[in-house]
Amino acid sequence: MTVLQDWLGFLPQLASGLWVSVVVCLAAIVVGLPLGLALALGSSAGSRALRWPAIAVVEIGRGAPALVVLQVFYFGLPSAGLTLSSTMAACLALALTTAAYTSEIIRGGLQAVPRGELEATEALGMSRPDALRFVVIPQGIRVAIPPLMGFGVLIFQATSLAYTIALPELLGRAYSIGSSTFQYLSVLALAGLMYAAVTIPASLLTDRVERRMSRHLA
Amino acid sequence: MAQPVTDPAAAKSTGMDVSLEHIVKAYGEHVVLDDVSLSVREGEVCAIIGPSGAGKSTLLRCINLLERPDSGTIRVGDTTIDAGQEVGGKQLHGLRRQVGMVFQSFNLFPHLTVLRNIALPQERVLGRSRAEAEDRAMELLQRVGLGDKPAQYPSRCSGGQQQRVAIARALALDPKVMLFDEPTSALDPELGLEVLAVMRELADEGMTMIVVTHEMQFARDVSDHLIVMGHGTVLEEGQPEKIFTDPATDRTRRFLRAVLER
Ligand SMILES: Nc1ncnc2c1ncn2[C@@H]1O[C@H](COP(=O)(O)OP(=O)(O)OP(=O)(O)O)[C@@H](O)[C@H]1O
Ligand SMILES: [Mg+2]
Repeated sequence: MTVLQDWLGFLPQLASGLWVSVVVCLAAIVVGLPLGLALALGSSAGSRALRWPAIAVVEIGRGAPALVVLQVFYFGLPSAGLTLSSTMAACLALALTTAAYTSEIIRGGLQAVPRGELEATEALGMSRPDALRFVVIPQGIRVAIPPLMGFGVLIFQATSLAYTIALPELLGRAYSIGSSTFQYLSVLALAGLMYAAVTIPASLLTDRVERRMSRHLA
Repeated sequence: MAQPVTDPAAAKSTGMDVSLEHIVKAYGEHVVLDDVSLSVREGEVCAIIGPSGAGKSTLLRCINLLERPDSGTIRVGDTTIDAGQEVGGKQLHGLRRQVGMVFQSFNLFPHLTVLRNIALPQERVLGRSRAEAEDRAMELLQRVGLGDKPAQYPSRCSGGQQQRVAIARALALDPKVMLFDEPTSALDPELGLEVLAVMRELADEGMTMIVVTHEMQFARDVSDHLIVMGHGTVLEEGQPEKIFTDPATDRTRRFLRAVLER
């Protein structure tokens, strides 16, 4: 009984924290995904001037833990003369991580497009950009959508790391309630349930989409 | 199939034909085409046969530069390319505009409907409007006997139907020459017949065709000119009937005996 009453009391603050988590996650995806596509194209480009920088960004973005990137953006960049709000730092840092990981997922998708179809575009006289735009990317993205959605779930969970840069997201809120009420177990359990309330339906949706996507592509 | 697929007036003014001169292609040490020359007159159907690994596909793919020869000259209509030199984008485009190709594995775009498979390249390569391109696509689908399939996805079509779509897709760009690389090898015999029938009609309409094939019947009946390849060279060429009945070289004879006795 009392647990439920406590939870009701925590809920407004946690809900606003959840909202921050969702917004940061969406921002990271909206910025990171196009960048991921660009990096995927760049890292499989013929020209070295494009390929090497893209590969470098991907490797750094994947190699550095998201927590470290976050700290660099928030605590590190001010000493280089660039001060970011915690929201901005969280969005940008997670966008970079998103770009690096999704570029590998997308690249895998692009490579899954059979070589023969590319030859067909060449034989038909289609330009390389047209081949990418109309044949490779639409199919590659389709292949990549389920793993991309899976990654979206991970990056949503990774927003909790932003509590270390004082972002009032879900975990941050739970933590501050915990430190004033000492009901850590109760509030953290509720926060965990709230994360799960987002991630479990998202994962179920991913499975459904995966089944739908494999329809026309035999 | 009432009207011819190519515009004869345009074809004549360019003295349309294909010629390859002294084509050499090696993969590392392995010489796959050893100084091969070949010419095909306008409206001629040229069949290329020969044992596996002879270099037939490689030769065909050199014609539209899917494979880059080490040296030699490629001429298609009004475009001449010296393979030993840098090939500009414009030249390459000029060459491919005139050459259509049909692959053994169809290579349709599986995410697009049959209609879009045929219309998209027209829109992007020739700049046709969507309506124009789709009209032309429908017309060609009817010609290849698939007028009821425009909205279907390739994976829902039989192999023979897919290959006919691929033929329509290539024809839609109004090529002057059509290249076929074993178009029926991936098909069951009865499905292969549908495709061969379409090719036969195309030949009757006067399309210039170069066909790599294992279908000896087709090579014998439909082609005007037969080329027998072996080990990267042309073993023998000439009138199909003559080569089938009285081959000039021992290797041709052995090859023909092997395939005809199967
Ligand atoms: N990309 C490649 N790299 C290395 N060797 C190759 C490559 N493509 C073809 N070859 C070799 O070139 C030779 C000729 O191949 P090609 O595919 O032209 O033969 P083919 O006459 O078409 O045979 P098939 O009847 O089996 O299709 C073969 O020995 C093949 O192994
Ligand atoms: Mg071959």
